[in-house]
Amino acid sequence: MPLKLGAVSEQIEHMAQAMVALSPAQEQLLEQAQALLRSTPADALRLKLEQQRQRQVRFPWLVATPHGSLCGIIPAPPAPVDFCVIGIDASSVPPDRHRSVRFYVLNVGYAALTYGRCADAVLDAESQLFFHDEDLYLFPEKRDVPIEGTLLNARMEVESLQTLQKVIQHRAHQPSGERPPTVALRDGPLILWTLQNEPQEVQDKLLHGFLQAMSSLRQSGVPLAGYISYTDSRDVANSLRVWICQELPNECEHCKNSKRDLCLALAKIRDRDLFNFLAIGERSELFASSSQILERYGEHRVDFFYLNIGGEIVRVEVPRWVSADAEWLSLLHAVIYDQSRRSPGFPPYPPALLEAHEQAVITTTERRLIEEMVERALGLHGQWVTRSAKNDSKRRRGI
Amino acid sequence: MSNKRLGVVVDGAFNSGLTVRLDPGVTTEQLRIGSFVVVEGQRNRYFSLISDIHLKATDPRLLSDPPRATSPFIARTLSGTSTYATVEVRPMLMLEKPDESDPRALLEMRRGPQPVKTIPMHFAELREATELDFATVFGKEGGVYFAMGTPLTMDIPICLNLAHFVERSDGIFGQSGTGKSFLARLVICGVIKSKVAVNLIFDMHDEYAFDKQTEDGRWVKGLRQIFGPQVLIYSLDEELARRSGRNADVTLKIGLNQIEEADVILLSEELNLRQTAEATIGLLRDHFRGQWLLKLLQMTQEELEEWCKNSGAHAGAASSLQRNLKRLQRQEYIVEEAPFAALDDMIESLDRGKHVILQFGRHNSVLDYLLVSNLVTRRVRQRYEEKTRRYEESKDPKDKPRPLMITIEEAHKFLNPAVARQTTFGIIAREMRKYNVTLLVIDQRPSSIDPEVMSQLGTRITGKLTEERDIDAVLTGVSNRNALRGALESLDTRQEVLIMGHAVPMPISLRTRQYDEAFYQAMGAPEAFQGPEIGIRDLFGED
Amino acid sequence: MRIGEIVETTSTGFVAESFTLNRPPPLGSLVAVSLPAQDMEIYAVVAYGQTVGLDPGRRAVRRSTEIVFDEAIYHEHPELKHILRTEFGAVLVGYLAEGQVWQHLPPQPPPLHFSVQTVQTGELQRFTDHLLYFRLLLSYNGPVSPLQVLAANVREVYRQRGSDRAWLDAAAREIATLLKNDHEALLTVLYAIDPGEASAIAERRGQL
Repeated sequence: MPLKLGAVSEQIEHMAQAMVALSPAQEQLLEQAQALLRSTPADALRLKLEQQRQRQVRFPWLVATPHGSLCGIIPAPPAPVDFCVIGIDASSVPPDRHRSVRFYVLNVGYAALTYGRCADAVLDAESQLFFHDEDLYLFPEKRDVPIEGTLLNARMEVESLQTLQKVIQHRAHQPSGERPPTVALRDGPLILWTLQNEPQEVQDKLLHGFLQAMSSLRQSGVPLAGYISYTDSRDVANSLRVWICQELPNECEHCKNSKRDLCLALAKIRDRDLFNFLAIGERSELFASSSQILERYGEHRVDFFYLNIGGEIVRVEVPRWVSADAEWLSLLHAVIYDQSRRSPGFPPYPPALLEAHEQAVITTTERRLIEEMVERALGLHGQWVTRSAKNDSKRRRGI
Repeated sequence: MSNKRLGVVVDGAFNSGLTVRLDPGVTTEQLRIGSFVVVEGQRNRYFSLISDIHLKATDPRLLSDPPRATSPFIARTLSGTSTYATVEVRPMLMLEKPDESDPRALLEMRRGPQPVKTIPMHFAELREATELDFATVFGKEGGVYFAMGTPLTMDIPICLNLAHFVERSDGIFGQSGTGKSFLARLVICGVIKSKVAVNLIFDMHDEYAFDKQTEDGRWVKGLRQIFGPQVLIYSLDEELARRSGRNADVTLKIGLNQIEEADVILLSEELNLRQTAEATIGLLRDHFRGQWLLKLLQMTQEELEEWCKNSGAHAGAASSLQRNLKRLQRQEYIVEEAPFAALDDMIESLDRGKHVILQFGRHNSVLDYLLVSNLVTRRVRQRYEEKTRRYEESKDPKDKPRPLMITIEEAHKFLNPAVARQTTFGIIAREMRKYNVTLLVIDQRPSSIDPEVMSQLGTRITGKLTEERDIDAVLTGVSNRNALRGALESLDTRQEVLIMGHAVPMPISLRTRQYDEAFYQAMGAPEAFQGPEIGIRDLFGED
Repeated sequence: MRIGEIVETTSTGFVAESFTLNRPPPLGSLVAVSLPAQDMEIYAVVAYGQTVGLDPGRRAVRRSTEIVFDEAIYHEHPELKHILRTEFGAVLVGYLAEGQVWQHLPPQPPPLHFSVQTVQTGELQRFTDHLLYFRLLLSYNGPVSPLQVLAANVREVYRQRGSDRAWLDAAAREIATLLKNDHEALLTVLYAIDPGEASAIAERRGQL
């Protein structure tokens, strides 16, 4: 309530003005960047990147290694007549430190949409409440490393894939004539970069389940992709900077490069703008990500490409076993594009992910309901839930 | 005969009548003001008349903006629900309904219809009257019950109780052209046939005795032709009395000796008498007693002057009187002296059960009519008073005088407020009931008749009247006046009448009975009527 | 035939979810809830219908294109069937108990989750032989004006009774009596139930 809207609105106005002022200059720079993208020879860049990697040069930013050319365009192939796309999403009720009893809830929503001659939809969710120590702590014997925040999110990713695995296995047992080709989509990256700074044992623990689920999917023949809308990544732009850099990329203070300005400009350009030459349905060629956590992924090392779904450029991340398989890659491309055309909103968003999200969402009412149910159940068994003072004051908000 | 329900009572007061809401499906156009209807209360049955009809709507907005171009479906739905009609109904008679659960009550003789003493509760049913209802109220034809006609919407005979009719003086009214003389004929025939009274008819226009041509060219029979020798014809006109086939039985002469002061005063206007006439006559009477008129007319100018000096009468007045009264003398039927025997014989005939029609023939000026009627009736009255007194003394049933009904037309000439006190008719109307002499008064201007006389008329049979004064006059002294006003105003010009009073239990609007072959036969007329040839022969005399 | 399941229930009416998407029972039609345990059949008149998202927070968005529209949309977006629901509301107008028809509110509202069924012609005729239930219809307040619900009911019953003209006339008169103080409301209903010219002509022919 005490937010001073007056002051804020003034600043909003300034911001708008500044944005408009920047545009013409920015456009020019973008053109330059795109020209650079077109002119940069992919082989040479690959080589340079490899060399620097071998020299253990630490890039201060993520770079993308092109599999093919930098500016290649692949148009959307036609989608098959019958196919199925399964979207998954998850949300949580995080553990409450201010409560005497500790638990958290994970709700994984999925939407399996079948198109074609046997059009159908299955929309559902799997909900679980975790309270055992082995779920609450990464190292339950010592009650060490509570699963919350980033770790909880990682846990959620794992849980999502495991649910996806179950769904696919369940469908595999259904008696049907011919099972249509199926792809799986999740909202968000496949690269769990948030785990980057965690100790190895933590990474191992969390990645284990994740990678296992991915293997299962591979075995079931279901290509998986991570769909990132309105991506902020600058991987490819960063690669261009590496290309024009004469020295080492971490010595920018001493840079006397003639293309310094361009380099600095590239620093502000995002890949989604860089690739805006893609027409609707077209995708870029594959790139490999330099994210450190991918070292642990093994066969599931993640590649990505950019795709114009009409209204925006999205980043699609796929495990290597998908990017290496032309058929699966093609299927994925076709299905994602098809989904965008079935999207009710603008810019388009895959209905499979939309419905999965709807299934996953936990409303405020439901959160309260869970709390009430917990309190009541514990009360029946003689344990009363106490709350911290801070928590109480937040609830009551007395005057 | 349908027992069809018309609606239910929704409002009402004893003094002002009942309001009935018509059922949907019952249209106002199937009812008439003056129609006889029946309200079924819980304990009583109310025989009533319709006195008014109203249109209503449940929502007044409907009336300010009636639905345009409605489909027949909507119009039919609205009629009787959103739009409806009420009728104002006046109970006239009330009949107690026996308690159905009490077997004794059913076996007991029910009392006849009584005057209304209460009103029914809400939602009592209104229905059309049936034959049984009419019979219950008006009785069946036969004996003293004489059929006068049929109700406006039905075909059953409604009867007048003639015994009640002749117990009091009565009136037949209606504007000209409404057939009053036919009504009079019907009633007189009924009286003759039922023998409840004898009739003396002063036939000013020679209408009653023999056949006559109506407005539409028909020929209708006279009383003589229907009843034969039961009816005696007296005539003032000697010549006309001698027509073949239409001759009178007796020619009447009036003597100057029979003319009295009152007779002359009655003729003041006709004879153009001055105001001094009465005083002068008085003096003449003092002097000459019963011969006063004869003497007056015989006196020469000098004799008259002489007498004036002696008596103190004004000369001018006396000579003017003489001049005026000479007119009397010039009348053909006036003789100097005539015996009262002729009149007495007539009265004896009446007593023996004959009916007398006095025809005026060519002497049918107002003067003749007034003079002769008044004079004859005075004699009749005298004789009847004597007879009644004798009967009271002897108590011998043979002495009992027969009830007599005297019929006069243009009654207002005898019974207007100015002269009502003086004419014999006025006296008869007021007093003679106790002597069994009553009047049948026929007139088209009831407002000109003295209200006191009017209030003495027991039964009034009236055709259409348009003048407010006449309507008011005819309804003088009648209860439920307002209800009957509407009935009166809605009568057809011809053939519809309203009968109210002593001879009917409740007022009723009727279509009168036809005066035709069927009627003659019902009255017992001898042979079939022969046709206009007789009439033509009459016109040209015996040759 | 079962056509829906009660999802909200009150003393005066209930809301049911229809088994077929986009096809609630016709407005004004008579439906029934069977309670064999109490030997009772509750009757209600359908007073509105709507199709909405299962989640009240989600609103329908335009999905048609040049090529895909109307029925094809449901094929193109198979998830639609699972995120939409069609519901209808009905007014309680009476019940059948101990072999007798009553046209006032039943003592208890029909139970939640019980089925809503269509009413056979014979049963409908028996119920609509009495018109007292019109009063219950007129006093109900829902999304659709009670006048329109009543009119819809009269049209439906008239049709199901095989164009029973005598019944229609009686119904019209009853309505005229009930709405005697509001002429405009009365006309609104009468215009909506007027069988029209074709019927009038047929009627006249029948009379000849």
